[in-house]
Amino acid sequence: MSNKTYMCILRSESGDCEKPSPSEMELMYAKYQKWQEEFSGNIVDIGNKLGGSGRVVRRDGVQDGPFIELKEIIGGYMTLSAATLDDATVVIQASPMIASPGVSVEIREICSH
Amino acid sequence: MHVEHVFRHEYGLLVATLSRRVGMQHVDIVEDAVQHAMMQALEFWCRDDIPENPSAWLHQVAYRQLLSAFRITKRRNALLAECSVTDDNESFEQPAVPLPGEMSDSLLRMLFVTCNDTIPVESQLVFTLKSLCGFSIREIALRLFITEENAYKRFSRARQHLKNTPVVLDTLTDSDMEARLSMVHRVLYLVFTEGYLSSHADTAIRMDLCVEAIRLVQLILESSFGDTPETNALLALLYLHLARMNARQDTSGELLLFEQQDRTEWDEQCIFKGLGFLERSAQGGIVSRYHVEASIAAEHCLAPSFKQTRWDKIVRSYEILEHIAPSALHGLNRAVAMAEWQGPGAGLAVLQSLNIPGWLDRSYHWHAVHADLQYRCGDVDLARDIAEQAIKSAPTDDIKRLLYKRLGKCGLSSQAG
Repeated sequence: MSNKTYMCILRSESGDCEKPSPSEMELMYAKYQKWQEEFSGNIVDIGNKLGGSGRVVRRDGVQDGPFIELKEIIGGYMTLSAATLDDATVVIQASPMIASPGVSVEIREICSH
Repeated sequence: MHVEHVFRHEYGLLVATLSRRVGMQHVDIVEDAVQHAMMQALEFWCRDDIPENPSAWLHQVAYRQLLSAFRITKRRNALLAECSVTDDNESFEQPAVPLPGEMSDSLLRMLFVTCNDTIPVESQLVFTLKSLCGFSIREIALRLFITEENAYKRFSRARQHLKNTPVVLDTLTDSDMEARLSMVHRVLYLVFTEGYLSSHADTAIRMDLCVEAIRLVQLILESSFGDTPETNALLALLYLHLARMNARQDTSGELLLFEQQDRTEWDEQCIFKGLGFLERSAQGGIVSRYHVEASIAAEHCLAPSFKQTRWDKIVRSYEILEHIAPSALHGLNRAVAMAEWQGPGAGLAVLQSLNIPGWLDRSYHWHAVHADLQYRCGDVDLARDIAEQAIKSAPTDDIKRLLYKRLGKCGLSSQAG
């Protein structure tokens, strides 16, 4: 059975969270490295962070971000390859991203023919 | 390049280098810019490979961020005037990467600016840990056993002082630096002892502070003015302590009594380094407290066993230490050594001759030594009462268990633990 591809959308609660100190960043870096190594077979595209400002375009107009009406802001994305949604969930649950409070990751299959 | 400590080590170097360039009064904007650069690094380095020269990469990102912060706060013109560079100066936009020696020189200068007697020493300590060693206020509070609020207060006090009386880091001459050397020694010694003596359960956390202190003392030693007998003695002391740090706990993390420590666990390389610096410190007629403390540590490191320790030498060293750097704690240690040398009665006599300040009277150290000596002199009832007091004033469960090990013989009631 071939793997499916999943889009993972990272959301974080808006508002200033406490900035990590260099020694905490060292720890985060080490965790990321370990996670990426462990799941290198699953990570198709480590993705990117999304910029803080943007625009919403609709038929009836254009609205500038930031989208303050949303409590959670989409902060980044990545794509994973996994056999099932459950497998993709395991990968995300092991990731250091969700260790920060206020962060959630939505996993959606990319439907292709 | 090994990234393990890039973040923390580069943090202090960058903060110092950039503060030197734009002025200490902007130290908080500088810290924000460096923090931003490190967040960027965390993101990019996780995704792509680490750049060939991480230090240069961080410097460039931090510098750009600093410029844009100045633009935003409209203080750029003032800054440009201060730095006598013009807006169209390309080198200002694209700074040359500082040489490693230049960065450590800045770090040292900043350390020497921080360590001056108009700032309370506990504030110097917190500022050094935060701005030069890269620890957060939360981590410092954890490491120093103080509240975050208190840590922040101490930090702000130092920062406020440095902002109000901005010293251009370059104006410090070698002789200024020499004059402040002893204050810098003291702060780095504190950084070390906070790690070494703290009763924090996590050895890794305590080790961090010790290694930081050694790194900075080493840096001083390599500078043009820092290679003094005291600096060598301090470094000797730090290595001789560090050598025995791992042996203070057994494999399950339980604290061990000194006489139970497995001496084969002591780090020979650290001992070797420590003895080397001790030898180098024995030049000129100066005997500092670091000389005496290092020689006590060396006695312990060289003794084949607890019993075969040259306790007479240690007693004499503590006497000298009480003279150079008066503290009742040295007296307490002398009493312990005296009890090993001439018996518990002699130890108790030393203890009873001491003038005990309130802070020591409330500490478990005092009660524990007192209880032990009373027991060994035969007054079991008194020993038990004092031992219970010691356990009551122990700050952590680890130490309570250690005291049980040591004082259990006094016949403690089991409920005390």
